[in-house]
Amino acid sequence: MNGDIGVPMNATKTKYPGLNPLPPEFGKDYPPIAVVVEEKCIACDRCPPICFFDAIVMEERPKHSYKRTAVVIGDNCTGCGLCFDACPVDAIIWVPDKSGLSVPGKKIPPSLEDTDL
Amino acid sequence: MSLQTSFMGFTLQSPLIVASGPASHDVNQVELAEQQKVGAIVLKTACSDKYEHMRSWPRPRYKLLDWDKHMSGRSKQFTLYSYEQGYSGTLQDYWDFIKACKEKAHVPIIGSIFADVANDWAELAVKVEESGADAIELDISSPHRPGSLDFETTFVAAIKAVREAVKFPVAVKLAAGPDVVHQCVAAQDHGADAVTLCNRIRGLDVDIEAQRPILHGYFAGVGGPWAKYYTFRHVAEAQQAIKIPISATGGAISGEDVIKYVLLGASTVQILSVIMINGWKSISRISQEIEEYMERKGIHSTEEIRGKAVAAMTPLDEVIRWSGEPKSGPRNVWKEEDMSKHFG
Repeated sequence: MNGDIGVPMNATKTKYPGLNPLPPEFGKDYPPIAVVVEEKCIACDRCPPICFFDAIVMEERPKHSYKRTAVVIGDNCTGCGLCFDACPVDAIIWVPDKSGLSVPGKKIPPSLEDTDL
Repeated sequence: MSLQTSFMGFTLQSPLIVASGPASHDVNQVELAEQQKVGAIVLKTACSDKYEHMRSWPRPRYKLLDWDKHMSGRSKQFTLYSYEQGYSGTLQDYWDFIKACKEKAHVPIIGSIFADVANDWAELAVKVEESGADAIELDISSPHRPGSLDFETTFVAAIKAVREAVKFPVAVKLAAGPDVVHQCVAAQDHGADAVTLCNRIRGLDVDIEAQRPILHGYFAGVGGPWAKYYTFRHVAEAQQAIKIPISATGGAISGEDVIKYVLLGASTVQILSVIMINGWKSISRISQEIEEYMERKGIHSTEEIRGKAVAAMTPLDEVIRWSGEPKSGPRNVWKEEDMSKHFG
């Protein structure tokens, strides 16, 4: 019995069922912010199991030096940020949201501004 | 041998409960959790309309800290630094969500809410009950709550108001801290059916290159396997002070951790970080580890060992302090021949 944390499990290609109800077409309006720099990827298989939203899979790349690379599935990515710190070579990068859209939802109401939310 | 556990009037198939958070934010996750034979599910906390901004999460909202990148994804220590706040939909979405979960679920579904004034608490709690949830957890200790809200005034009133407004079981989720036993007693006195110990705490980390706090520049909720040590203590203290059941939560990643919580008096154990980091199968792995232990120890039910470690605790005035032996400790048991060896 040893708290065997982080045992890699096979990522599936099924869409992560969580996070409804996000705004409709969330993925289109708010593009994924996690992107794999394929040249840097060492195909170590660490990021697919860390992604709770099943948004990272390994794909074949015959010309890649490791023959495979991690790929972010845009529709599933919620931009949570877990994968950035699981990559040993910093091949997953954060693309700041340039959609120009504000984060959905409301700003902090003035009545709560003085509280430390 | 069975993992069956009674908790707040329910008979759960397992002491493991999915804690409120991203693993209980969608109706389809109910099925995923049930496949792993979970005991119950606490849904993601919904905030009152006044805290509507907490439904919008910044991106990225998590940062995995202290993760050993070179351990092949097997790091046993980590910190999940999270700025994910409330349930992302409206209150109406939340009521529909509860209904949909209840239609699918075979295990108890526990709603979770956060508000500030007592009326809002009661109003939300009534809606949770009407929507069909089996019980409710009052998230009075959310790491994202305004720090200006005080337990004695705001939250005691909230517990009272909710208790008067609803008939179903009410659990109160408390945060770690010096007041936790006092708060457990207060929750019990005001009619809570269980306490959940302990919520994540509000933390902060700094990027020394940028010389500013990481992520969004503000405090975040922190949790991880390290959180179990102070929670063990709080569970042990609370077990001696209150009669209502305790649902322990904090840093449990293995069967061993869950057994420790039970030995310290917890009825159920809520897990989340391990599910996020290691996937849904963590639940069945932990269950299996508990069963292996029970079989090895000849235990038929976790109730047989509940609180056993607290009963075996040494009262402070009976702690054996240094008493003059040349060496002390379990590996240096006093032997008669040592007398002649050391003292002639």
